[in-house]
Amino acid sequence: MGFWKRLFFGDHTKLEDRQPNDTKKEPKQPSSAKLSANIDYLMNEFNRTSDLKIRILKKGNAALLYFESLVDQEKVQEAIFKPIELGDVEDISNLPHSKETLNLEEAITTLLRGHAIYMEDGSRKISQFKVTSSFNRSPEEPANEKVVRGSHDGFVENMMININLIRKRIENRDLNVKYFKLGKKTNTNVAVIYLDGVADPEIVQQIETRMKDISADMIHSPGYVEEFIEDQTFSPFPQMLNTERPDRAVANLMEGRVAILTEGSPTTLIAPSTFFMFYQASDDYNMRWYTGTFVRLIRLASFIIAIGLPAFYIAVVGFHFEVIPDDLVIPVKSSINEIAYPPIMEAFVMVVIIELIREAGIRLPQPIGQTIGIVGGLVIGDAVVRAGLVSNLMVIVVALTAIASFVVPSNELSTTLRLLTFPLIILAGTLGFVGIVFGFLFILIHLSRLESFGVPYFSPVSPLRIKDLKDTFIRVPLYKMNERPKDSHAIQTEAVGPSREWKKREKTGKPQTIESGTNQTTGGDQSVSSDSSSE
Amino acid sequence: MKKLILVLSTLLLLTGCWDERQFKNIKLVLTLGYDQGENGGIIETVSIPTIQRSSEGPGPESVQVISTDAVTPRDARDKVDQSISNTFDPAKVKVVVIGEDLAKENIYPTLDEFYRNPNNNLNAHLALARGKAEDILNFNSQSPTRISDYISGILEGAVAATHATGENLQLVCAELIEPGEDFSIPMLKIDEEQSVIKFDGMGLFHEDHYTGIDIPADQTTLFMLMQGKKGRVARLTKKVSDKHENEQMNYVTVNVMNQKQKLKIKAEGETVSADLKVDLKVRVVEYPADHLAESATVKELNQKLSEILTKEAEEIIKIMQEANSDIWAIGRQVKAYHPEVHKKLDWIEAYPEIEITPNVDVEILQHGIIN
Repeated sequence: MGFWKRLFFGDHTKLEDRQPNDTKKEPKQPSSAKLSANIDYLMNEFNRTSDLKIRILKKGNAALLYFESLVDQEKVQEAIFKPIELGDVEDISNLPHSKETLNLEEAITTLLRGHAIYMEDGSRKISQFKVTSSFNRSPEEPANEKVVRGSHDGFVENMMININLIRKRIENRDLNVKYFKLGKKTNTNVAVIYLDGVADPEIVQQIETRMKDISADMIHSPGYVEEFIEDQTFSPFPQMLNTERPDRAVANLMEGRVAILTEGSPTTLIAPSTFFMFYQASDDYNMRWYTGTFVRLIRLASFIIAIGLPAFYIAVVGFHFEVIPDDLVIPVKSSINEIAYPPIMEAFVMVVIIELIREAGIRLPQPIGQTIGIVGGLVIGDAVVRAGLVSNLMVIVVALTAIASFVVPSNELSTTLRLLTFPLIILAGTLGFVGIVFGFLFILIHLSRLESFGVPYFSPVSPLRIKDLKDTFIRVPLYKMNERPKDSHAIQTEAVGPSREWKKREKTGKPQTIESGTNQTTGGDQSVSSDSSSE
Repeated sequence: MKKLILVLSTLLLLTGCWDERQFKNIKLVLTLGYDQGENGGIIETVSIPTIQRSSEGPGPESVQVISTDAVTPRDARDKVDQSISNTFDPAKVKVVVIGEDLAKENIYPTLDEFYRNPNNNLNAHLALARGKAEDILNFNSQSPTRISDYISGILEGAVAATHATGENLQLVCAELIEPGEDFSIPMLKIDEEQSVIKFDGMGLFHEDHYTGIDIPADQTTLFMLMQGKKGRVARLTKKVSDKHENEQMNYVTVNVMNQKQKLKIKAEGETVSADLKVDLKVRVVEYPADHLAESATVKELNQKLSEILTKEAEEIIKIMQEANSDIWAIGRQVKAYHPEVHKKLDWIEAYPEIEITPNVDVEILQHGIIN
């Protein structure tokens, strides 16, 4: 029946194995029936690279080719030679799990993917076996995005494992993964993941178009992708969220955003993103909402402290010392009285020293890194004050600033904040409070203008949408976040249905008449929606 | 574009520090004193604390007190600058003390500079000095506190205990300029015997000069309550009987818990009269004679206190009228609500003659935890 159906109604193209990428566009080089011609062609294409292993079988009538650097020898043994030894199959070309082609170009790509190919003299058929070796570390919690409560796994360098981690969390047929090959020479695998029916197709389309436009030899890391496809490369603010946490990626996917994964890097890019997304951490949703709100507010305050505190201090001591409280006047005066340099120089020196210590600490191995921290933080900090180069108030101010800049849950934004301190210091040192006001004004204007994939970056504050403030400055209880934020442009807005109807029922005293298993939607007259559970 | 960046950065970097005023390059002045000088000039006295930096917190402090003769306060400042390192800046001044003699002339010319320059601290306390302000600033107390802290502490304490109104430069300004409204300023005096500076009543002002008449320190609490002002604590100690041999038994001390003050002004023809009603709800905090559990005792005490305080209020009003100090701004109210009466009167002449009847009503609400 199937044959007749296909003959009359079906399309007449031959069914083929599904490839991650469309191979039809690739150049075709039909294989020859002569084994030596095939091998010569392959050897030439690979420039006689040394790690291409050629094993001659059947007394020179057949050959098995693979990259010994890409192939797991044990798998070769297991998949190819063992069945023959056991006598299950007579010939390697008859092995059932092989994939066949007549195109030598295709053979080249599969060889590069870590497959082994088998060719026989007198036959054009090329059998391909997947024997790739892969070295994976376990999905451990990323060191830069730790949480106290919540899941402790993280993305790894293998994209398949990463997608697996996401699919495990969203068991939904609408989760869509699209592969791209980026980098003309490196052919890096990049995946675009989104939830169909939630994510805005326009944004998905836009991301795909921008990805296809990339014409670079190498796509080395997500940072490359980011710079090629983001809206404003000259803005100091990151316009795509970087995360190594599957739960954070999944939460954003569920909000209708798009994730971009790259082979060889655990970092996932989330687009479109907004300023306030960088201040959300997975922890917030695992605590009581009061605490979540409190922590969120502290983080947002840290934004102001991180970029504004040194500037404020400089403006006060350089221009407007009237604002110092009466009881503080004498201590402040005594601490800065004999400092040789103007406060702006002090601030620059201290901020640069902190950055030096930080940079030195990152690159060095753990035990030495700690030593640097102690030497830098304690010894230099103390000595600098004792020597009278920098006032102890400035040390306090700069240290507070550094701490505040590390509070941001995203390393991307943290670096931005530390950079933004400098222009504000200069403005405060030259114009005082007026300068700070101008600086903040510029930043605010820039934030309001910025867009990430057609979505306003500073939303929901500008444009103001009060409903969406539920998950920005504060975090309301989860069942109150019944709508997806507008800034993700989700086409399906409802995220949480009425979930706490049981409370109403308890109050009205109506007995719950759900008989287990038989009827789940008994309370239909109360408009209790059990749709979510029956989905 | 490149030119624009160049121009902008040049503008910013070359002209920016123009009006920089580095905190470390100024001499802080926390206390200022003004006295009458010769030939209509003034003597300005400043106290400048200098603190040495030590590795842990502020180190030892040295205070420099400088007095100069000058024509005007601003001129005096220039002259002070000539004798100190750096320049001096009164932006954080805490207390301004004005000598008795200078205050009797007119205080506005002295204070004008404070109102004109936006950098000045208008929160600074204003006080009068019995004698010379210079002496107060030069006063060497045994306590290690700074003179500015010492004086401002005294004044703040006086406000908290309902002795003073807490006038500062800002509050005085309106009353100084407004005709028909007067004010009072705390008086400071050096007590040589105990070697302390003391709060010594409120100096009454008429328009812009000190009248030379004071409300004595022990009557200032009632004086404040009559103005409807109460600090954190308002405590009155009065002699209510002569019956007991032990002198202490004759006294009662009350804390005012709640106070209500109402001034009714009547103006007809050419006579202006005012009724001042002060309701005090009090708590007895000291009364050795006791028996407060009986309502008759309480009633009696209420009546006695009301009588005594009313009498005292009359005395205070007499002093005020003698000084021609219109603290209640009766003149302004008459001008506003009874302009035809005001036109007929020369208010400055009329005020000491008008009839002000005080009526203090005391009600004891609490008497502590013993009966």
